[in-house]
Amino acid sequence: MKDPETGMDDSATTTGGGPRRLGLWRCIALAPTWLAAGVLFLLMAMTFADVILRSLANNPIESATELTRLFMAILVFASLPMVSWKGDHIVVDLLDGLFSATLARVRDILMDLVCGFVLFWPAVRVWDLAERAREFGDVTEYIGFPQHIIGWFIAFFTLATAVLYVVRGGLRIFAPSLFPPSGGSSR
Amino acid sequence: MTEAIVGFAAVLVLVFLRMPIAIAMGVVGFVGYAELRGFRASISMVARLIIDSAQDYGLSVVPLFILMGLFVNKGGLSRELYRVSYAFLGHMRGGLAMATIVACAGFAAICGSSLATAATMSKVAMPQMRKYKYADSLSTASIAAGGTLGILIPPSVILVIYGLLTETSIGKLFIAGVIPGLLGVVLYLVAVRYTVARNPAAGPAGEPTSWADRRQALMGIWAVLLLFFLVIGGLYGALDVWPIHLTFSPTEAAGVGAAGAFLIALSRRTLSFSGTLQVLVETVHTTASLFAVLIGAWVFSNFVNLAGLPEGLKAFVTSAGLGPTTVMLMILGVYLVLGCVFESLSMLLLTVPIFFPLVVGLGFDPVWFGIIVVVVTEISLITPPVGLNVFVLKGVIGDVSTRTIFRGVTPFWIVDIVRLALLVLVPWLVLFLPDSMG
Repeated sequence: MKDPETGMDDSATTTGGGPRRLGLWRCIALAPTWLAAGVLFLLMAMTFADVILRSLANNPIESATELTRLFMAILVFASLPMVSWKGDHIVVDLLDGLFSATLARVRDILMDLVCGFVLFWPAVRVWDLAERAREFGDVTEYIGFPQHIIGWFIAFFTLATAVLYVVRGGLRIFAPSLFPPSGGSSR
Repeated sequence: MTEAIVGFAAVLVLVFLRMPIAIAMGVVGFVGYAELRGFRASISMVARLIIDSAQDYGLSVVPLFILMGLFVNKGGLSRELYRVSYAFLGHMRGGLAMATIVACAGFAAICGSSLATAATMSKVAMPQMRKYKYADSLSTASIAAGGTLGILIPPSVILVIYGLLTETSIGKLFIAGVIPGLLGVVLYLVAVRYTVARNPAAGPAGEPTSWADRRQALMGIWAVLLLFFLVIGGLYGALDVWPIHLTFSPTEAAGVGAAGAFLIALSRRTLSFSGTLQVLVETVHTTASLFAVLIGAWVFSNFVNLAGLPEGLKAFVTSAGLGPTTVMLMILGVYLVLGCVFESLSMLLLTVPIFFPLVVGLGFDPVWFGIIVVVVTEISLITPPVGLNVFVLKGVIGDVSTRTIFRGVTPFWIVDIVRLALLVLVPWLVLFLPDSMG
């Protein structure tokens, strides 16, 4: 089910209960994507303004490079959980025809659980590095933005991605009708 | 060396089990690195890569160029490009197929994806060619082949990924893609002429267009043409003249391109708030999946380098007495075979970390190799039995058999091989423009 406004899959948010909960879940699920979309628009506008100001007024935005880095971290990691949940990662579907429906289900469950499991460690390690940056008081050069907040952000969304993989793997076991075995086209 | 080979085999097994390529390469890279250096060093390497790459300034070129393509597409460019190409070429025999090739090239100049180019142009060009009773084999083949230009003519997502993976200048890669891209257009036009010379009924001439209508058609795309020349001219340094002094880094070029495309779409009233949001959401999703594969590929690359694969391959090549040209021909052969089973980005991600150090070690230019890899990938997109563009077309059009499309594509495939040979034998064709950038 595609949401006409966001192009997003409703199935991502329809696992809750009644209408009120659905609305809340929907907002929680979509908020990071909207944040990422807004930040991308800002990035575009800022880069354009920077070029214009530099070329015509010889007065570039000094902190543009730093802000670009910050924006990139936000837009990539805020959208990572939803991309993973929707199965939008690049996969190879060459051998799909060899898997029966049961085998494909077992394969998908295993892959989801393994993906969730392996993402846990980098998330924790990134958190550790962020804590270290906090202890040292590391900030970015121009705008003085605390480095550890970026680290926390990355760690949180990596962890969220890991949790979503595990949840999806669990749902494939206990509520298989929500997630039929993958067999669509690759990207 | 053995560890790297085992690792590569493990990645293949995992991706065939439908694990996302990003995670498969990341996991194998992580486990392999841990085997050689220990768990703590490995997890620190992965965490550092994640933090650093997410904040890499150079990577911001990815979402901005994707955004530019999507905004221009929202502006209805594909239809207008086809209209202009038809106005100038439609009256010739095979003219509609030629117009399709040129419109595909124009669309590719804004959009960085071959599959998107083929899918979009098939909706615009196919009904016209049906109307003039073009043979299905020629019409579908011209769209499938024209669509492959999407990943070579700048801006190209695949070239960005190659540039990021290998730390090669993205600006130079883009500029290097211009001549091979134009050569591709010319050779595809030759393939159309050859097809209609053999079978005139395959591509009858359309109605001629008056100069007044041609001018009017051109007016419809002037803004996008200007945007393309602004972006590429700024990247090349051609606009560094008094009084504007416009020179762009790839990120700046992409930012100007995206903002320009947004303003064009706004001025044409083709962009609503929800449409804008949809484009932004699609862009961030594509960006996140591309970043994931880049991080995975970097982790894997660190492992294979640590495991000594590049040195091992070089030692093997030296001990076998193989010259650089022989090695390059073997690599091209591997790509052509892999292209029959892998999708282009997957193929690039899996092979570049392995071949690139060897190729550069043998003295080949990294920019040249990037273009050659993309051209081979293009060829794979229309190579039987699994050329992906052909299947995209089949999905969009439906009532044409893949056999018919592949039959029509044969002359285009042959001129592609001719182009590949030209680019391999005369590297100047690739390197002339980037070398003149200074």
